[in-house]
Amino acid sequence: MEAGTYQFEPHTGEVRIRIEGFSLSDLFEEAGYALAELMLGEERPETPPDAQEEHVTLEASDTEALLVDWLNELISRADARKQVYTDFTVDELSERKLHARIRGFTPPVLKTAVKAATFHGLEIHEHEECFIATVVLDV
Amino acid sequence: MEPTVEVQQRLSPLLRQIGPALYELDPSFREDMRVPARIVADEELLREMSQDHSMLQLVNVTTLPGIQGFAIGMPDMHEGYGFPVGGVASTLLPHGVISPGGIGFDINCGVRLLSTGLLHGEVEALLPALAHDLARSIPTGFGRHGRLSLDLEQLERVLAEGVPYVVDVLGLGTREDLPNIEAGGHLSGADASRISVRARERGHDQLGTLGGGNHFIEVQRVERIYDREAAEAFGLFEGQLTVLIHTGSRGLGHQVCTDAVREMDRALAREGIRLVDRQLACAPFSSPEGQDYYAAMCAAANFAWCNRQVLTHRVREVFSRRLGSQPECWPRIVYDVAHNIAKVETYGGERLCVHRKGATRAFGPGNAELPAAYQQVGQPVFIPGSMGTASFVLAGRSESRAISLSSACHGAGRRMSRATAKRQVVGAELRKELNARGIIVECPSNAELAEEAPTAYKDVDRVVDTVEAAGIARKVARLVPLAVLKG
Repeated sequence: MEAGTYQFEPHTGEVRIRIEGFSLSDLFEEAGYALAELMLGEERPETPPDAQEEHVTLEASDTEALLVDWLNELISRADARKQVYTDFTVDELSERKLHARIRGFTPPVLKTAVKAATFHGLEIHEHEECFIATVVLDV
Repeated sequence: MEPTVEVQQRLSPLLRQIGPALYELDPSFREDMRVPARIVADEELLREMSQDHSMLQLVNVTTLPGIQGFAIGMPDMHEGYGFPVGGVASTLLPHGVISPGGIGFDINCGVRLLSTGLLHGEVEALLPALAHDLARSIPTGFGRHGRLSLDLEQLERVLAEGVPYVVDVLGLGTREDLPNIEAGGHLSGADASRISVRARERGHDQLGTLGGGNHFIEVQRVERIYDREAAEAFGLFEGQLTVLIHTGSRGLGHQVCTDAVREMDRALAREGIRLVDRQLACAPFSSPEGQDYYAAMCAAANFAWCNRQVLTHRVREVFSRRLGSQPECWPRIVYDVAHNIAKVETYGGERLCVHRKGATRAFGPGNAELPAAYQQVGQPVFIPGSMGTASFVLAGRSESRAISLSSACHGAGRRMSRATAKRQVVGAELRKELNARGIIVECPSNAELAEEAPTAYKDVDRVVDTVEAAGIARKVARLVPLAVLKG
């Protein structure tokens, strides 16, 4: 199995993303790629080879909260460090805990500024061959 | 999420008209509703609201523990997350809940109107240079930090003291600015120690920055006066050059909301709160989470007022440089209103926590919180259009207390998703069209321009007429754009 997919769905005021992954780790990585595309307007942007690796460790009350925390961690790091993260490796993922490595770069311009990920309408479903999540981002 | 068509079919016919441009849904619609849902709209605006999930989101708001009276949607209401954008709700203190989703991530996003003593015709030829200078002086977009980078003590004092600190100590403005800012630019409930390290990291260099999305600075001309008495009190006259600033608390406020939603989500079970939508995460105002969030929200609100104050200073610098230092060139603050905030207000002797998410406070005449000059006519209410469309100044009416918890709308309201706007509008052509109409556009991205195209929004004239018809506020002035600076 290769990587999953994501697509942007209609929402009047914000941005809704439907994410699919063949595993939960895959789902979380795809969520990161979707966020990067939203911020940069470029599908799977190239990560510079010399991009610094950062480690992210999160704990949350359940998997849904973990997904929101993961996206919010990427958003708040991006805002504080003027970076967009474009490369994700989820090394460890349980129901309530995540450890990942991320890399990114400082783009000259940002297409969409993202304020936060929300719990609105958030669900993670396990299907026969994949996991599907829908997340609304405040932009 | 419930399919839109089903919601529309079930909800709309059940709305009962209870006043001019005012509709109500009885709590019998759904068994978990604690109070009615009320909507300020006409039939066309109701039809537009029925195209998304905003009515259902308003129904969800009526289930909040401690909610009083009704939840109310403004005529610009559209789908958000948790609360709809354009939603207002109050809870009974001390134990009713406070919900960060009822305020929004951009805490104290708001609008400030500046007026000059200049007529548009006197300075028309200088406008391109003025707009260009504004664009150079005011950082917009990602990675552009403000010219002010606060040290730890300065940030602490901005959060705790708000605009009086920025004026008195940093020298960015005058004491005369303060009465014309909602709450004097300072909420006394602020506690800077409740702001997380991450929120500080996101905000410390963003004071005096505009941000992206629908935030803007617009140079305008007063095209029409509807109410001479109120216009005179606000210092507005036909042909006058004005400036409207729309922005908020930037990354600092966003992180305050993120932090609070996480904490409150964890506390729900302990408080015995069950929610129909997890983004309505909330906590009793009196709980540790409620108190922490309120103190942090007040501090973030102070930060936002300071942000608009620093931007005002930059605008004044540019005006002085380009137009001269005569008194008529000095932009004075007409008023500054928050439209994403929670306030403690008293109605019928009860202390309530009033959540306004995409809604403007609209106090009527005689309210003690208004500056002396506005006591006779009511609070200035600003309803910005989108690029190329008019903006309005209204005056709050006393009747707004009973109708809408002293609230009016905050804009035209989106009717089209950003993706749809981009499919339907070519940014480069929109730029040309606006230029052909004499509107100068300073925006680095055509794509972002398209997302905020006038056609993506509801008809602002209709929205404003509905506010007036409902008896919430009356029209004072209509402003049209001359130059638009966007992030």
